Amino acid sequence: MDYIVQQTLNALSFGAEYALIALGLAIVFSIMNLVNFAHGEVIAIGGYTMMVMATLAFKNPIIIILGAVLAAIIMALFLERIAFRPVRYADATTGLLTAFGVSLILQNLFLLLVSPRPIAVTSMYFLDWPIRLGSIQISSLQIFETLATLIAILLLVLFLKKSLLGIAMRAASLDFEMVRLMGIRANRVIAAAFAISGLLAGIAAIFIIARRGAVDPTLGFNPVLKAFVACVVGGFGSLPGAVLGGFLLGALEVGMLVLLPQSYGGMKDAFVFAIIAIILVWRPEGILSPPKEKGDKI
Amino acid sequence: MRIFQSMRSFKNAVWGASLLSILVAGIGLLVIVFGEKYHLRLVYAAYVNLLVVLGLQVFMGNTNITNLSHSAFMGLGAYVAAICVTPVTIKKLSLPDAPWGLNAFELDAFSSAIISLTITGFLAFLTGLIIVRLSGIGATIVTIAILVIVHSVFMHRTDIFKGKQAFFGIPQVFDLYSIIIISIGVIFVARFFRESKWGIQLRASSDDDTSASAMGVNIFNLRLFAWTLGGLILAMAGICYAYFLGTISARPFYFSHVFLTLAMLILGGMRSITGAVLGTIMITFGLEWVRFMETGPVLIGIKFPEMLGLSGITLGAVIVLIMVLRNGGLVGNFEIEQMFRKGRNIPKV
Repeated sequence: MDYIVQQTLNALSFGAEYALIALGLAIVFSIMNLVNFAHGEVIAIGGYTMMVMATLAFKNPIIIILGAVLAAIIMALFLERIAFRPVRYADATTGLLTAFGVSLILQNLFLLLVSPRPIAVTSMYFLDWPIRLGSIQISSLQIFETLATLIAILLLVLFLKKSLLGIAMRAASLDFEMVRLMGIRANRVIAAAFAISGLLAGIAAIFIIARRGAVDPTLGFNPVLKAFVACVVGGFGSLPGAVLGGFLLGALEVGMLVLLPQSYGGMKDAFVFAIIAIILVWRPEGILSPPKEKGDKI
Repeated sequence: MRIFQSMRSFKNAVWGASLLSILVAGIGLLVIVFGEKYHLRLVYAAYVNLLVVLGLQVFMGNTNITNLSHSAFMGLGAYVAAICVTPVTIKKLSLPDAPWGLNAFELDAFSSAIISLTITGFLAFLTGLIIVRLSGIGATIVTIAILVIVHSVFMHRTDIFKGKQAFFGIPQVFDLYSIIIISIGVIFVARFFRESKWGIQLRASSDDDTSASAMGVNIFNLRLFAWTLGGLILAMAGICYAYFLGTISARPFYFSHVFLTLAMLILGGMRSITGAVLGTIMITFGLEWVRFMETGPVLIGIKFPEMLGLSGITLGAVIVLIMVLRNGGLVGNFEIEQMFRKGRNIPKV
């Protein structure tokens, strides 16, 4: 029983991380049909900012966290302005390949300007201490991560339902032209989407750094690959789908670690991706995909 | 059943493929005559990449679905051929606990290549059944899944694939002449497929799938065919890779190679074979120069700093600039034989 509770908690914290990143991908995709593969490098920028601030002798962790999140938001906005605005009205393939290119450039810039090797960042270790609940051993980081994700989702829902900009963003995911005709600036809506995705990436960066304690050029690539999968499985462009996909992926990963024999441990990713492919065969548009229109209805 | 819509498209295909073959063979022969020994290796690798880019073009150029699994199929082709052709004496050393008696037989190079093509082609067909059901982003994610799955199998079944270590002792079967001939063959295959009625129908369906299927185009079967044909060409690329280098390892068949070949295809223009060949030539020569700069050389008396990662930045910049400025690639729909035609035959772009 304890073992099941323990593994469920693990699955939740894994899933929370994926959901956090997947939300950042989905919010951009829902509005401008862009698969933002460069999201991982926005996370890495968060990590590198922490490294720089720590070496500049900032001791207060709150300032470092704020700095990292701010850097991620600025990076996301900057990428939108210089790389993604020119391909805004192009098809999804063009956007995807542009994002791949941006991701490649940034990864190699980190490699060139900082270091190809991991650099230790210890300023987030204070988030991590072991907690015993009866016979269950968990880390405080897992609790923080799950809580932070839940709070982020809650605030995001409030923002999307209550604020004017949030309502405009939801409308834009259905019919962007109409939103513009209502007198809302397209640039503002898209910038808001990127700012939110940058914010989520910044939060994700904090937890990734807290767990790994080091930053390297490919810090964000693998988590974003997984989050991308989570998005597609949940239904690309659907925010609840991204969250569902994230938690599903977390559960699958932990399930694989528990069920697979030790010698197959390294094959975890292969099994997870195979299951994902099967889910996609069952529902090609993802589990919670928005209904797709083909042709004119009139 | 006719393969080509008209005599003209057949003639165009023959002309275009012949001109490209002359170009490709010309570069190779120049290197054989004038190049030094280490040039041969570089140029051979460039030909392997050309085969990969052509294999990628057959599916991606005609369907406009981004495929990122091509390096995995190349790897499969390379490993299957390598396991079949390597002598038993070497395999007893390198794969002491291989299952299913994999280290207890050896075949000649030709049968190994046939077996490799059969197995990789069959796997491509099976995965194709999944790919063709999906569209756009969903299909791309499944190609990533294939890449990750194949890579983890290579890395963790060390008893068969040696993982990060090198699989060594593959006899050298091919030289530069052989791969030039194979490249010419593949250029013809890819170009014929592009001009065949199936190629035209596929490109029509990638522009507008609803209208194309209303016109009676069987999109599923055509995509499946293109995917499998692409897989076979990629397997051939893998076989050529293994048959020349003598050692292979899992690492080259992953994301960095995926991006390299993708940039080659995108730069030239993925809809045309001319674009695929042109992009491969340009990136190959360009990267050689960039790699030279990476090492921090002394030029005109100035010592440049060592700049690791410059080649990655260049590739990324090529992809982004092409997508932003000219998303059909440098040549778009243009094929090389159109340069030599005057008047009515030049299509409006």
